[in-house]
Amino acid sequence: MKTAPFAKLLAPLLGLALLAGCNKSEDPAKPAAASPPSSYLETIKARDKLIVGVFTDKPPFGFVDESGRYVGFDTDIGRRFAKDLLGDENKVEFVAVEPASRIPFLQSDKVDLILANMTVTPERKEAVDFTNPNLRVAVQAIVADGSPVQKLDDLADKTIIVTTGTTADIWLTKTHPDWKLLKFEKNTESLAALANGRGDAYAQDNLILFSWAKQNPGYRVLPQLLGDEAPIAPAVKKGNTELRDWVNTELAKLGEEKFLLKLYDQYVRKELSDDTKPESVIVEGGKWQG
Amino acid sequence: MSFDTAFMLSTLPAFFKAVGVTLQVGAIAIATSLLVALLNATILVLRTPYLWRLVKGYVELARNTPLLIQLFFVYFALPSLGVKVSGFAAAIITLTFMGGAYLTEVLRAGVEAVPRAQLESGRSIGLSEGQLLRHVILPQAGILSLPALFANFVFLLKETTVVSAVAVPEILYTTKNYIALYYKTYEMLAVLTLLCVLIFLPLSLLLRYLERRLQHGQFGH
Repeated sequence: MKTAPFAKLLAPLLGLALLAGCNKSEDPAKPAAASPPSSYLETIKARDKLIVGVFTDKPPFGFVDESGRYVGFDTDIGRRFAKDLLGDENKVEFVAVEPASRIPFLQSDKVDLILANMTVTPERKEAVDFTNPNLRVAVQAIVADGSPVQKLDDLADKTIIVTTGTTADIWLTKTHPDWKLLKFEKNTESLAALANGRGDAYAQDNLILFSWAKQNPGYRVLPQLLGDEAPIAPAVKKGNTELRDWVNTELAKLGEEKFLLKLYDQYVRKELSDDTKPESVIVEGGKWQG
Repeated sequence: MSFDTAFMLSTLPAFFKAVGVTLQVGAIAIATSLLVALLNATILVLRTPYLWRLVKGYVELARNTPLLIQLFFVYFALPSLGVKVSGFAAAIITLTFMGGAYLTEVLRAGVEAVPRAQLESGRSIGLSEGQLLRHVILPQAGILSLPALFANFVFLLKETTVVSAVAVPEILYTTKNYIALYYKTYEMLAVLTLLCVLIFLPLSLLLRYLERRLQHGQFGH
């Protein structure tokens, strides 16, 4: 009698453990069974819908326009993928993700593909499979104009805002574990916290900072980079080589028609200073040159 | 992906701290909510002019707005009106705002549940209103409120996970942090679930035991 409530509460936990186990046995089986009927692309075609995880609060990459539509540099690439895979750019279902939920959404099969400005890092490569890159990025920090902070090391005894699970979060946590970080789930929450003065700086992908600083005067971006410049790439679930290869072929094809440059002109160019070269932001055709 | 138990163990010191924060936020919020509720319930029972309407309005407002929205309002919106409090303070303020309202209702219901015959009997043997309150109403109302009161304590403690949204380093914040840094989704959710069981289950059992002990004296046994 007494153990009954214990057993009830432990059941979901056990289920969780079992799920984790299931995943293990399924994963290697998928690429092995590459025969057409059970292939991943066939699954998408049978469903007649590509499910893509995108950002909804990170202009110009993924955001919501005045009419409530999901748009942006990344989001529109997703539409194009749907058009080329299923023949209609509307055969795509967008799922809103946050930086920290991108990989869990892939791991739990909630989405086919993540197109949410995800920087390629060694740790993430362990968890998911990246396709060839579509953007390049570096992490920088933004501070108020009046702040005494001039260089990165001045932040050692300050509070730095980051968005959970971003490259900035990971780099700061691992490189400077003793620095004080204030972490929020959403980019917009972090920016609100910066505007409210809850931290001395906000570390984030520099394109987002440049774009925000252009619209919100009174802030400056520190020139120093946090870590190296890195590629940003779409990602698929670990082991899904079929979809990864399809995306790579697709990116190469889109490179020939300079598709990314078109999206850059449409969304990104106006957000950045006039002397920014498109090649310093986008990676056309998936060809990374470090 | 295998279940990385070594990784789970390596996170335990951080989770130990996080449990401390959860219990701290929970304990403070329960205490302040109870204070607010005692004050409010007294106003309601005594029908203090004007004030009791104010209390009614507060209870409705607090119970009909989601905690997360109250939290975001205090943390992100109030600074533009010049009121800036820390994440921890925002957590206590909003949990008290919500918890106070729920506990007010619990105490009020407890007072109303005291049988009218008890009041009439009290009056018939010549007790004054003050004596009636002290010796007849409050002891019984307290006992009658206990089950709902304790259930709300556990509820409030569980609600503390919401405050992870304003960067209070409690158990959910710590879990999400590790998932974001190392992508050990299953492991960290398992640790979180286990911690919740370890925190909430003994508390529930303890409160149920207390409830049984305290209610033993009910109705003249």
